Amino acid sequence: MQNGGARTAVALLMLFAVAASLLVVRHAAAQVAHPATAASALTEQDFSRMLPAMTAQAATNADDSNPHAAPLPASALTTGDFKRMLPRTDMRSDADANAHPHAHAFIDAGAATSFDGAPIAKNPLAPDAIAIGAKSCVACHALENVQASHSLHVQAFRAGAAGTGAAAACESCHGPGSAHAKDPTKPGLIIAFTRDAKAPIDAQAGVCLACHKGGARQDWIGSVHQQHQLSCTDCHNPMARLSPEGVLAKNSINQVCATCHQDIRDKFNRRSHMPLPEGQMSCVDCHNPHGTLSADLIKTDTVNETCYACHAEKRGPFLFEHAPVRKDCLTCHDPHGSNQQALLVLPVPMLCQQCHTMTGHPNDLLTRAGLATGPAPDERLMGRACLTCHTNIHGSNNPSGSRFHK
Amino acid sequence: MRKMLITSLAIAIAASLAGPRAFADSSDSARVGDIQYGNALDPTGWAPLLWADPRGFSWLHAGMMRTPSGVLYAYPPQRDDKSSPLYKNSDWVYSGFLQLGYLHLGGDTHAEFFRQYAGWKSGMALGLFALYADNPKTGQYVEFRGSRLSGGDQYYRLRAGQYGSYRIEAFYRNIPHDVTTNAYPLWNGIGSTNLTLPAPLVPGGSTPAEVAAVDKTRTRQTIGLTRRREGLSFEDNFYRDWTGYVSIVNEKRTGDRLWGGPMYLNYILPDNGGALETARPIDFTTTDVSIGLRDVGAIWQFQLAYTGSFFRDHKNELDYQSPFALRNVAGVPQVANIYQGQFSLEPDNDYHNLRAELSRSLKWNGQLSLAAAWGTMRQNDPLLPPVTCTGTGGIFVSPSADFTFNCADWNTSAALSQQTANARIDTGLLDAKITLHPFPKFGWHAGLRWYREDNRTNYLAFNPLTGQYGYIAENGSQGSIIPGQIGIFDPRNPLYSSYVTQVRAIPFGYTYTVFDTGIDWRVSEHNTLNLTYSFDRDQPKYRERKLVNEQRIKLSWVDRALGKGTLRLDYEFAYRNGGPYDYDPYEPFYSTALPGFVTPPLGNVAFTTDAMRKYDLSNRIEHKLHATLIYPIGDTATISAIAYATRDDYGAAIGRQATRNRGFDLSWDWQPSPLTSISANLGRDDSSLNFSNVADNEDITGAPGRDDPSLGGPLFPLANQWQSLDHERDYNAGLTLRHDFGRVRADLSYTYTYALGKIGYVFASPGALPITQQPFVDAAGNAFPDNHYHINTLQLGFDIAFSRMFGMRVFDIFETGSFADWHYLGLQDNLVIDHRIYTDLGPQPHYSANLVGVMLNVKL
Repeated sequence: MQNGGARTAVALLMLFAVAASLLVVRHAAAQVAHPATAASALTEQDFSRMLPAMTAQAATNADDSNPHAAPLPASALTTGDFKRMLPRTDMRSDADANAHPHAHAFIDAGAATSFDGAPIAKNPLAPDAIAIGAKSCVACHALENVQASHSLHVQAFRAGAAGTGAAAACESCHGPGSAHAKDPTKPGLIIAFTRDAKAPIDAQAGVCLACHKGGARQDWIGSVHQQHQLSCTDCHNPMARLSPEGVLAKNSINQVCATCHQDIRDKFNRRSHMPLPEGQMSCVDCHNPHGTLSADLIKTDTVNETCYACHAEKRGPFLFEHAPVRKDCLTCHDPHGSNQQALLVLPVPMLCQQCHTMTGHPNDLLTRAGLATGPAPDERLMGRACLTCHTNIHGSNNPSGSRFHK
Repeated sequence: MRKMLITSLAIAIAASLAGPRAFADSSDSARVGDIQYGNALDPTGWAPLLWADPRGFSWLHAGMMRTPSGVLYAYPPQRDDKSSPLYKNSDWVYSGFLQLGYLHLGGDTHAEFFRQYAGWKSGMALGLFALYADNPKTGQYVEFRGSRLSGGDQYYRLRAGQYGSYRIEAFYRNIPHDVTTNAYPLWNGIGSTNLTLPAPLVPGGSTPAEVAAVDKTRTRQTIGLTRRREGLSFEDNFYRDWTGYVSIVNEKRTGDRLWGGPMYLNYILPDNGGALETARPIDFTTTDVSIGLRDVGAIWQFQLAYTGSFFRDHKNELDYQSPFALRNVAGVPQVANIYQGQFSLEPDNDYHNLRAELSRSLKWNGQLSLAAAWGTMRQNDPLLPPVTCTGTGGIFVSPSADFTFNCADWNTSAALSQQTANARIDTGLLDAKITLHPFPKFGWHAGLRWYREDNRTNYLAFNPLTGQYGYIAENGSQGSIIPGQIGIFDPRNPLYSSYVTQVRAIPFGYTYTVFDTGIDWRVSEHNTLNLTYSFDRDQPKYRERKLVNEQRIKLSWVDRALGKGTLRLDYEFAYRNGGPYDYDPYEPFYSTALPGFVTPPLGNVAFTTDAMRKYDLSNRIEHKLHATLIYPIGDTATISAIAYATRDDYGAAIGRQATRNRGFDLSWDWQPSPLTSISANLGRDDSSLNFSNVADNEDITGAPGRDDPSLGGPLFPLANQWQSLDHERDYNAGLTLRHDFGRVRADLSYTYTYALGKIGYVFASPGALPITQQPFVDAAGNAFPDNHYHINTLQLGFDIAFSRMFGMRVFDIFETGSFADWHYLGLQDNLVIDHRIYTDLGPQPHYSANLVGVMLNVKL
């Protein structure tokens, strides 16, 4: 059966290799076939080709007065082009509308969700820009709109818009879009959250925290991830649904964390490990990446309290305690993974003998002579070693258990 | 029919929860546990829905954008652009996915590492059932996700609510954990609280040969457990900025685990004593309750949370029988039934924690946070009697050396000073933190944290029936082999008035205070420096040191424009020292502190050497270096690399002396188009740990000098010193490849893990060894056989689309591994070695297992 399994795997591997050999050819074709993989420098013709709906609408918009008239920097397209291409905003464009884009959200009994009242982010790089509404954004960002529609984040904004009419949904995060609409290729006129963003990391995080502050993120400021200049969008991508929940930038929490913490990911491949590779647990079960009051982003006041959340039997308190156990589980265990049994940081009895030098049997040097194959088998070495007798090592509730024998 | 079912599910939950709300925010990342739902077949819990949309993300630019750090975002998964309405003219729309099929296992499917946390089973399996319905007009939604590999490995979770308003969540899941699949327990009653010997073995009257004969008939078993968890939670933004939540989670944990069974040392007394590897039952119930309230205002943020956890162990003890006879080394043989062992299993416990946290936004983009928490953990389980034997235990040497004890004086709870444990630990936390950014390029933060763990347990080991202190060691076996080593102190009896034994529980506790401050300086648009200083003061109670201080400086540099990449570089230096080191701080809890204790003329044998330094309290100098580089390659690839090194030096002649760790990881991710993605990673980690110990000179324990704790003294001569050298090396590699051929999509993944463990040792003379005769010294060598752990896992799958709605997935997972651990070396030949009985053969030395699956995919 073992050989059968191997043969099956080899056969499938060969099949895959054949298929993969077609990949390069297909990839070359894909570069042509898929607009998304075409060259990035856009010409006016490109724009017209890609946005047929907009160009078709250009005629009907030709006589519209542009409410956002302002000097325009040089770009591939002229102001007139954009005037013609963008649909008329369905938002009011006066100053009050931008200051209070959803003034009626909390008044109307029909308000759908709190997203009706989402504020518009301020973009310090475009201080005079005003909101133009999602309809205008989507005119160009059509596919983004489609993909983002599957994200819970955008669905929520959409529901908000459904409650109160036209909304600055996109601009709640990206800031007012008028300046960007006039000069779409100039960086910084819209708040971006990607590698090339001109907005500082803190400013990016500030946009997210405008709605998401408090709760799990109450200690974001000063946290190790904040200090290391991580933006929310290093871990999250609210523009697509890549994960079951959490609008993550990758498919799971563990994958997101492993982007930087590859060494920790590797530990989960070791002999004993928490069940992260098996999908039963995530890093965020124990750590809050948004910041905590405790070291190492542990969620609870101490490491032990986090461990007790699953290992409640270890909580005790016991009649007889083992000092390092009570203080810190990490004295003996590596919670991420270990090459020893039960996540131990060293094999027993060596683990114990680092501290236990007491007179009597603990302080002998145990060697290979004491293995079951040696001339003097020794129970301190074989199987569970010390734990064969000192079994209740996490604490004993037995009146005769001071040495954890009972 | 299908739509009716879906409609019923969606409407029934959502309709009852309708209603307008203001902001709400779920806080999964603040909750411990049940964040992730997946299994070994699909660790993401979402894999079938992750094939990328061939259109990519944008018409406006090629490829995907990168995260601020430079990692490429994944292409968005392909979805139907429009969801189906639940019924005609309904505002509710839905989408869903069902993957159902058959798994077939082959090869060594019981291999421990193949199924450690995976409930693989040949038969029907539910890969994924995902259903999502929402009402775009009201923002209400219902979401369900479930998977089932087997009865012991399944999850189902339902969420419903309204965006930004409220959420209700219910889940049910089973998580397997096979501890060993290679167990051969000797006893009857595995899984119960009473392990009895199979016929024809006689408790306390069987020879190793007789036990070994029965051993041949043992059958292979799996020792493991299943966690069955179910929970319900509700969170609601009930008034403006105020959100409340409540959750209850119940876990039933059942199964068994490897356990022990002492009947005193065998190594020093051949054909005597007993060391038994047994198995204990797991029958736990834990109920966790969380109730909280928070206010998130523009200036103030406030949280109040109560967490309660109530653990119940439905099996409070484990009784086991030892087959071996014990022989007293002097005097008249004991007559009691010293073959019955007993363990107290974990007591029930209650835990409460109340926590309040208040933050206020300050000028200069600052924040002040204050937090306070109080907690308590308590248990008051009835205490078991000190022994279970009947008759007379111990040893009668002569009328003036009568070291016997009457079991009846110790085998009832009347022998205890208190009937229940009455154990309690209270905790307290105060935390203050302030952060200010007076200038755009400059920030400052400082924090002060105080935490105390106050152990209020007070137990005196006093037997009111006999007026004696202490306990009966190792089920009475020790005192029935070695005259006088019963474990009791009696100031009225000269035989026991000098006996050193523990008579009180030690209420370990500590107070931990941390002050930290630091600055953030944005040197340039893309360069940031952080400098943090922290001072930790640990004040443990009843430990070798009453005061341990650690100062730590951490310097971080983030360069977000290193070429095209992002570099994060951290260096830490820490220095730990503290107050005087007391090598024996436990004396107040031993009989030596009781009135009537008579110090022997030669003094008490030194507890340990005064050169010992326990590594959680000893002086330490630490250096840590960690670098992370994320570097874009072109528009479609990314290289990520990390390198790290840690060096710890402890100020200990005896104890842990040094650790070293260094390693690197290198990853390459390439997604040339939505149709193709490839990633590969390679890593290596090296670590070492050295410690030293010293064997006591057993010739001196009855002679002058036995009370001398000094290293190099008569009891701990330098000639008996030894050193252990542990070195581990790990290699990791992986490759994943996905390609969309159109109607057929293929995925391949390969994972390689190799860990090598070496333990060497050096010793000054044979005095360090338990047996000093030359043949045994010669056999000692200078190292244990190497340990290794070597796993290769290959997975290959094809997704074939028949239509928009129907498709199929065919996949194969092939895993092969090899393993060696000297703990188990030789046990394959015999699980009974003199008076030792082993249950676990250890993980399989070699295995290969194969899993084939054929699944039907249905888009709903």
